[in-house]
Amino acid sequence: MDASELQPITEFIKAQVPFDTLDLATLERCCKSLSVGYYSKLSAFVPLDESHPQLYIVRSGAFEVRDNDGELLDRLGEGDYFGFPSLLSGEKVSNRVRILEDGLVYHLDPDTFDYLRVESREFDRFFNRAFAKRLRHQTRFKAKELTTNRVSSLMSGDPLVIDFNATVSEAARKMRSARVSSVLVIDNNKLSGILTDRDLRNRVLAEGLEGSLPVHQAMTTKPKTLTSNSLVFEAMLLMSEHSIHHLPIVDDDRAVGVLTSTDILRGQSSQPLLLIGEIERQNDLESLIAVSKQIPLLLQNLISADARAEEIGRVLTSVTDALTRRLIVLNQQILGEAPMAFCWLAFGSQGRQDQAACSDQDNGLLLAHEPDEEAAGYFETLTKAVCNGLDRCGYIYCPGDIMAQNPKWRLTLTQWQQRFDKWVNTPEPKALMHASIFFDMRSIYGPSSLFDSLQDKVLAETKDNDIFLAGMTNNSLQESPPLGFFKQFVLERDGREVKGIDLKHKGNALINDIARVYALSAGIKEVNTAKRIRALMESNIINRKDALNLADAHEFIAHMRLSNQGYQYTHSLDLSNYLKPQNLSSLVRHQLRDAFKVVHDAQAGIKLKFTRTF
Amino acid sequence: MSRSDSTKQYYRSQMPAVGQIFSESSLMAVDLEMTGLDPNSDQILSIGLIPIEKGQLQLSRAEQKLIQINGSVGQSATIHGIVDHQLQAGVSIDSAIEWFLERTRGKLLVAHHSPLDLGFLQVAIKQVTGESIKLLAIDTLALERKRLLRKQDVLKEGTLRLGACRARYGLPVYAAHNALVDALACGELLLAQVAALGDLHQVTVAELCHLS
Repeated sequence: MDASELQPITEFIKAQVPFDTLDLATLERCCKSLSVGYYSKLSAFVPLDESHPQLYIVRSGAFEVRDNDGELLDRLGEGDYFGFPSLLSGEKVSNRVRILEDGLVYHLDPDTFDYLRVESREFDRFFNRAFAKRLRHQTRFKAKELTTNRVSSLMSGDPLVIDFNATVSEAARKMRSARVSSVLVIDNNKLSGILTDRDLRNRVLAEGLEGSLPVHQAMTTKPKTLTSNSLVFEAMLLMSEHSIHHLPIVDDDRAVGVLTSTDILRGQSSQPLLLIGEIERQNDLESLIAVSKQIPLLLQNLISADARAEEIGRVLTSVTDALTRRLIVLNQQILGEAPMAFCWLAFGSQGRQDQAACSDQDNGLLLAHEPDEEAAGYFETLTKAVCNGLDRCGYIYCPGDIMAQNPKWRLTLTQWQQRFDKWVNTPEPKALMHASIFFDMRSIYGPSSLFDSLQDKVLAETKDNDIFLAGMTNNSLQESPPLGFFKQFVLERDGREVKGIDLKHKGNALINDIARVYALSAGIKEVNTAKRIRALMESNIINRKDALNLADAHEFIAHMRLSNQGYQYTHSLDLSNYLKPQNLSSLVRHQLRDAFKVVHDAQAGIKLKFTRTF
Repeated sequence: MSRSDSTKQYYRSQMPAVGQIFSESSLMAVDLEMTGLDPNSDQILSIGLIPIEKGQLQLSRAEQKLIQINGSVGQSATIHGIVDHQLQAGVSIDSAIEWFLERTRGKLLVAHHSPLDLGFLQVAIKQVTGESIKLLAIDTLALERKRLLRKQDVLKEGTLRLGACRARYGLPVYAAHNALVDALACGELLLAQVAALGDLHQVTVAELCHLS
């Protein structure tokens, strides 16, 4: 057979990683050896023949790989593979493949598979790696100091334990008095499971079960464990691969400790609290600049420790806040006490506490009353010094000039109120679009009563203000999540180069917009998006399910953005918000698609609610 | 052995295939490219064959023969993309038919709109061997028509075209057009149709013939 005669198949195979690394002759030989099967939902599972392992290449349809315990390992779609673990290990098939959508699958026989592994190192490496990690997070990277540490140096020893037959109430009481978030469940002196705060919430409370439930019914059985001699890095990998935060440490069949993600975080050289403490001890700009050089490393360590994106945002923002405050204090030491009360306002991402890498400044000054000439001069000097200091510490000047050093954004309470009044009561679409960051404002320095007088007034005007809310909503609907009609990703291109998915502007920014519109409609004071969503859920403005979905989507997309930037950082690439989906495992691709779907639905929700259109 | 004996034997060889359960059966997806639609005046340009063993298409034994014809490809070149000079490399209709009978012995054929392909093959076999033969095939078009007519009364034009049928089962769009790709497309469609019937281990080839 001339392979070109079966062009549709060769074309498809040729485009798949790692088949794309094969030379033409090898590729043709490979295509020629395939057999084609079709699997229908009606038969539920792909019949995997134990005596005849093969590589399954998904051409169409959707499948799900689950292990013996029914745990989901992977979701597969076009261009994904299954069956390779048995091919590589020679062990019999233990996972099951459920058919979610009917699909066409190509089968590659073991002989050809082995031949291709010999022919192409990339091919071999691809499947070995996929086997080793089942290709979960490819974007893990190693912070240097973490690779040498042993688990024993970070874990808490003498772990809290409880008997297999104890009740969850007893477990909860023990956890409370020991002030820990997990307890190891012991049966016959051996580790049988682990019970965490999350298990108590998800498997007991959320299910409406009683405190008399035996722990063994709520715990995670056969948890992943490591020995105390393992590398911290291994622990991090294991935790992130399995999305767990607690790792029992077992030596010679005996539970000797627990390692939590917080322990790992604490083990980092750039602890956020230390860094903030250091900032507060510095007495001049030069030393503040030196200290702020640690901020990128802090971000890296937080990302490697798999901290929640929300936590990372809060931690980084608290560093910016501390730096800003220190700059204000130091400059006041030079300039003398301020002639009146004032607040330093942070807008946009700093306001929302979701700063990440390469943030620019968005700030303003709120004055208690109209300054005379001398006072005006004082604040001009102060703000210029602080903004310059921030710039030199790595927070570059705002390209849109929204900064306290710009007289336009150095206003009295009355002037700020008038400014907001104009945006709210005579909203012009374009002006409003630029104004949206001002509605995410927070006071970094100054008397809270002054800031409250501004915020209370603003919220009183936005609350239930139909015209304003419709305008805000229409603005936020200018962008939509990057999903095509068939739920495939829509990639942005720059000329010939595929830039990928803009996780910020087509993901998190849209969720920020949605949360902002709702919060302003209800007069909610929170500005952090996660807190806004929580407050909206608690006041029944968004129903529980939608709120949790939206919060999860926000966290997930932000997490992807951060780990992508972590990857870019460790590979010395320019940091950007663009993610190339082909670098993702199929499971992560699926989750990302689901997250964007949630954003899409939430957009439809605000459209209906605030503009009364579909 | 006379040619007449060989066609009889060929016919007999197909009989056991009819009794098989689909998941155990041995079938052959076939597609022809022709110069036109009339078996008596038009000629076969190429034949594509892909075996379907135990419910799976075997690309390792996929084969295609281009056939030398009398005269020019003419109009049909615009459909099949086969041009005269490519056919120079082809085989004679005699050897193509011998090859076809040899490869498909003992296997039931599968084709989309099988009467057309079978018609051409039967005429060609008669010309080559001097013997009339009745070929048997599962017709994926007829299967689809039956299935759709159970749900609706009237079928719109184009509903039963190979591409349209495949789209209903979520099968990929194949842009390339040759006998082998069409045989592949038809074979995949049959797999999808059988999967939609439910239990793979129950459906027999006889039922599929009957349904078509």
